[in-house]
Amino acid sequence: MNKVKSILKDYALEIAISLIAIVLVILNPGKAYTGFKQALENFRSLLLVMIGVSLLSGYVSVVVSKETIRRYVGKESGFKGVIAGALFGSLMVGPAYMFFSFFKEMVSKGAKPRVVAASITAWAVKLPWIPFMIALLGAKFAIVLNLLIFLFAIVCGYLVELFLGKAEEQR
Amino acid sequence: MENLIIGLILLIVVATLYLFSLRRADHSKLKKSLTRSLRILIQNSIRLFAIFLIIGMLQNFLSKEAMSNFLLRFRGFSGILAGELAGSIMMGPAASGYPIAKYLFDSGAKTPLVSAFLLSWVMVGIVSMPLEYKDLGRKFMITRNIVTIIGIIFLSLIMGVLI
Repeated sequence: MNKVKSILKDYALEIAISLIAIVLVILNPGKAYTGFKQALENFRSLLLVMIGVSLLSGYVSVVVSKETIRRYVGKESGFKGVIAGALFGSLMVGPAYMFFSFFKEMVSKGAKPRVVAASITAWAVKLPWIPFMIALLGAKFAIVLNLLIFLFAIVCGYLVELFLGKAEEQR
Repeated sequence: MENLIIGLILLIVVATLYLFSLRRADHSKLKKSLTRSLRILIQNSIRLFAIFLIIGMLQNFLSKEAMSNFLLRFRGFSGILAGELAGSIMMGPAASGYPIAKYLFDSGAKTPLVSAFLLSWVMVGIVSMPLEYKDLGRKFMITRNIVTIIGIIFLSLIMGVLI
């Protein structure tokens, strides 16, 4: 019974979403079905990345040492660590939230919140897609916006850490 | 296609890591790491599918045209706020926001509004906030989102001046 309760609590959001989905199906089955199909398609196209991220998360949490993490993206990484986080964000595909479980393992191993925040912000830069963006929105707009995002990713990292305060410093 | 390529690269990197440590680290650790990965994969699959589902439904019930036409009613600073709100509710990969941005431009929207929309499209997601809360903590989630929401206003204003 307790186990059922903890599962219910753990997946409260997913259950809520399923309920909303059911309501939408009743309201407009056609549209809801298209939405469901799109979700499946999305899931299928990202499955490989998802497997990769999970394997990487498991590896980080069990095999990689705290010292390594600290050196590259932790306390001792400094500015370089933030840049590394922002570059990671600009290069990866799929939605940022797909990597949250990976970030969680990294943080619990000593990665700095500023690196994670920079990474999530820089997710809006998609290096491989810049030619597409230039074709649609013009070179000036595309290049200036991406440069600003990258700079903001770094600033955002430091601001988040500043506001998170000393409590995080103790890690 | 891009997802497939990056997925494969990621898998090759991970496989190399595992093989590399197969020779050094003890095997019980690798086994433990695989079990943990499997657990993360199952959990992620459920959580991510739920988010994909809500985004898929949102996209069908809130069409891009309807949202764009709503946005076009706003000008100036309220345009930035409206663009930011729309981008936070709707969500998707960065590149799928570009065609919407083009549609907005073609319909006469100004640079700050389009910038605010594109930026919050990826950086702020109401749908993914619960996941951010669960994985990275309440404090991190709130701080990062507030810093980003305010930052987007500044970035959009700068874009308006520069472009």
